[in-house]
Amino acid sequence: MNTQNILVCGIGGQGVVLAGKIISRAAHEKGFDLKTSEIHGMSQRGGSVSTHIRFGRKVFSPLISQNCADIILSFDMYETLRCAADFANKNTLIISSSYGKIPLWTSSRKNDRIYIAEITAALKSNFGKLFTINDRELAMDLGNLKISNIISIGFLSKFTGIEDAFWLKAIESSVSEKTKEINMEAFLAGRKWKEIIGV
Amino acid sequence: MNTISRTGKIAKKVNTALLTGNEAIATGAYKAGVHVATGYPGTPSSEILPYLARFNNVIVNWSINEKTALEIAIGASIGYKRSMFTTKHVGLNVASDPFMTLAITGVRGGIVIITADDPNMHSSQNEQDNRLYSKFAKTPMFEPSDSNECLEFTNLAFEISEKFDTPVIVRTTTRISHSKSVVRIEPIYMPNLPENTGHKNHPEKIYVKDTEKFVMAPVYARKRHKIAIERLKKMQEFSNNSGINKIEYDSLDFGIITSGISYQYVKEVAPFASVLKLSFSYPVPDLLIKEFVKRVKTVIIVEELEPFIQNEVSSLGITLKGKEIFNRFGELTPDLVKEGLINSSFIKKSGDRSFNKKGLAKEGLAEFGSLLKILEKLPQRLPALCSGCPHTSVFYALKKLKIPVMGDIGCYTLGALPPLNAMDSCISMGLAFGAAQGLYLSNSSPKKIAGIMGDSTFFHSGITSLIDARYNNACFTAIILDNATTAMTGGQDHPGTGKNLSSGQAISNKIDIKRVVEGIGIDEIYTIDTYDYNTTYLTLKRALNSKNLNVVIAKRPCVLYPKKIDSGKKFTILEGCNGCDLCMQTGCPSILNSGRFSDNNKSIPLIDNSCTGCSICKDICVFNCIEEI
Repeated sequence: MNTQNILVCGIGGQGVVLAGKIISRAAHEKGFDLKTSEIHGMSQRGGSVSTHIRFGRKVFSPLISQNCADIILSFDMYETLRCAADFANKNTLIISSSYGKIPLWTSSRKNDRIYIAEITAALKSNFGKLFTINDRELAMDLGNLKISNIISIGFLSKFTGIEDAFWLKAIESSVSEKTKEINMEAFLAGRKWKEIIGV
Repeated sequence: MNTISRTGKIAKKVNTALLTGNEAIATGAYKAGVHVATGYPGTPSSEILPYLARFNNVIVNWSINEKTALEIAIGASIGYKRSMFTTKHVGLNVASDPFMTLAITGVRGGIVIITADDPNMHSSQNEQDNRLYSKFAKTPMFEPSDSNECLEFTNLAFEISEKFDTPVIVRTTTRISHSKSVVRIEPIYMPNLPENTGHKNHPEKIYVKDTEKFVMAPVYARKRHKIAIERLKKMQEFSNNSGINKIEYDSLDFGIITSGISYQYVKEVAPFASVLKLSFSYPVPDLLIKEFVKRVKTVIIVEELEPFIQNEVSSLGITLKGKEIFNRFGELTPDLVKEGLINSSFIKKSGDRSFNKKGLAKEGLAEFGSLLKILEKLPQRLPALCSGCPHTSVFYALKKLKIPVMGDIGCYTLGALPPLNAMDSCISMGLAFGAAQGLYLSNSSPKKIAGIMGDSTFFHSGITSLIDARYNNACFTAIILDNATTAMTGGQDHPGTGKNLSSGQAISNKIDIKRVVEGIGIDEIYTIDTYDYNTTYLTLKRALNSKNLNVVIAKRPCVLYPKKIDSGKKFTILEGCNGCDLCMQTGCPSILNSGRFSDNNKSIPLIDNSCTGCSICKDICVFNCIEEI
């Protein structure tokens, strides 16, 4: 198998690091060679953050090369745009939260205004495999906004060739005892979602 | 765990684990039987000690600063125990005084110094290349290129330290420290086991003094310096012959000398090249380099930051290209290494999957133009103080007071960024009060000056400069932002929190900042709760109007560490908001664009549910348009 390149991105504090942990643990459980890279410290304070995950038979670089991501998982639409420009190619599967937020002070002047709808449109016309998930609504349906990331991971899991059992084990070892059940449920809901939209 | 198989043979069970470089370093130190490990938090080194503290039988402590941390490690070594000191690159500057002389006294128990460099300054004020310290101090250095090597080399470094009677540097970079990779590991070296039975502390020895070794008065230091120089030759022999530095022969046309993370990028983009990988990278293996250059036709050097290897190779009388091809600043990436190899005709531009943005356009994506156009509008997402950050109101007030603010290093450095723009300097840990005194002496500011730093920074190196200010009759307002943690690096304890890592089991003594300040003899001390914006503003104003050296202690726990704090309260914008943008000037990440506009086309803000209920925006709004839900 060729090396798979997965990029997880979002805003500091959104759970990008945890999502990266779950995906990499699942790949490790399956027995792949694996490298990840993430940045801690200052950028975690509300800045743009991303985790690179690469797995396969033998992996050298922990960083994904430009426009070489196989999958981009994003928890914020603004960051989807930023990362897609750097790491996506026309075959890249992009899974993005349909939600995006940007502090008012960076976008309050008239010519700075940038809207989610324009981003989605621009991404759609450039990348064939873009899936926007209203993960927040799905999460609220399950009764907890905090699990929205796990829903997206469930959806992503179908495209990795890593079986359920490895994913569930990875989630189990990454979340707290208290939230284990709801996280499992969220994962399975996301995993089913692929069937619902028929891809 | 050693398992006994049916045939009666003892088989050592080896598992794999997915570890960061930092976790692997901690594991390697544990495996080597480290007795005392110290450090001060600093990205990207901060996770080593907390991981090590999860094992039994190791004393792991945060120290007040890097100098003290290394001094503790030295003392433990004089007491025959293995010790480790961890730091970020700039922290070794703080510890460089003991380090430079430790390098000539040598050790008893092995001393390993972990320096985690931060090329590209992801979370640092400079990107100095600490490999130069190994040459400066004549100490050996390891450069791991993945987590497995982090474990193996750290373990080995303790042996090397004792074998050659020298401290040993293990130098990582952000991409090593914070990358995860698969590590081969015996299960007994996993943390949180009830017994961690594999641990072998060094045997107890009774202390005997050795004046000639450890008293670096000139008469003894002159002797020791000679010994340190002689040591270099022996270490170079080891560098050549130990097998740690390796040549991987492939094409005899193209060769690359490299180390650390650059090795992985080279293997990724030029799998056909012969590679001389330097793992024990100081002293360099002169014989291996000569052999490599002789056998391979064209050889270049791929290294991040300074031309360290290049200069060493050059001093052997061999001229190779390195920094002529690759930048002397920032990080390398697989793409940059590839670009360099293409430019130096090592590889041809090919039609593989990695193509740049121009290539992307050529691939015929429907409306690539539309993507570029919208990208131009996408604002850079700068890091910012958190929703509910206790520092916000102080910086908002300082901005209104329009005074010079000498700043420091921590989360609160973000107070220098827009929209707060309320800090004028950030150079080194503990700079603020020294710089405030100097700026005061310069007579260049008609207004009283403020110096500002956090609680952890105050302990790190602010106390001394506050004493100096008092001693020399300086006049400024010293603000100490006391959020009861070391927040930027992930919430580590410090002398003001009353807890520590392995001694967390027995509560540490808590040092009271106010009593420290009183002890210096400063009488005018104000303590404020920063969630009360109006009092914060008025107190700062009063302190800045006073003609004395005074101290404002701004107290309020961090919203992230040690535990996430959410008051449960939420605030909302009321009808009638005219988009005046005052609340927006706090930079609060919970204040977003509602998509609605006032009559004069100004954005009406929206407070989303990430609001933690600090109420600062409500206090600031002069139109009373913000209210608790």
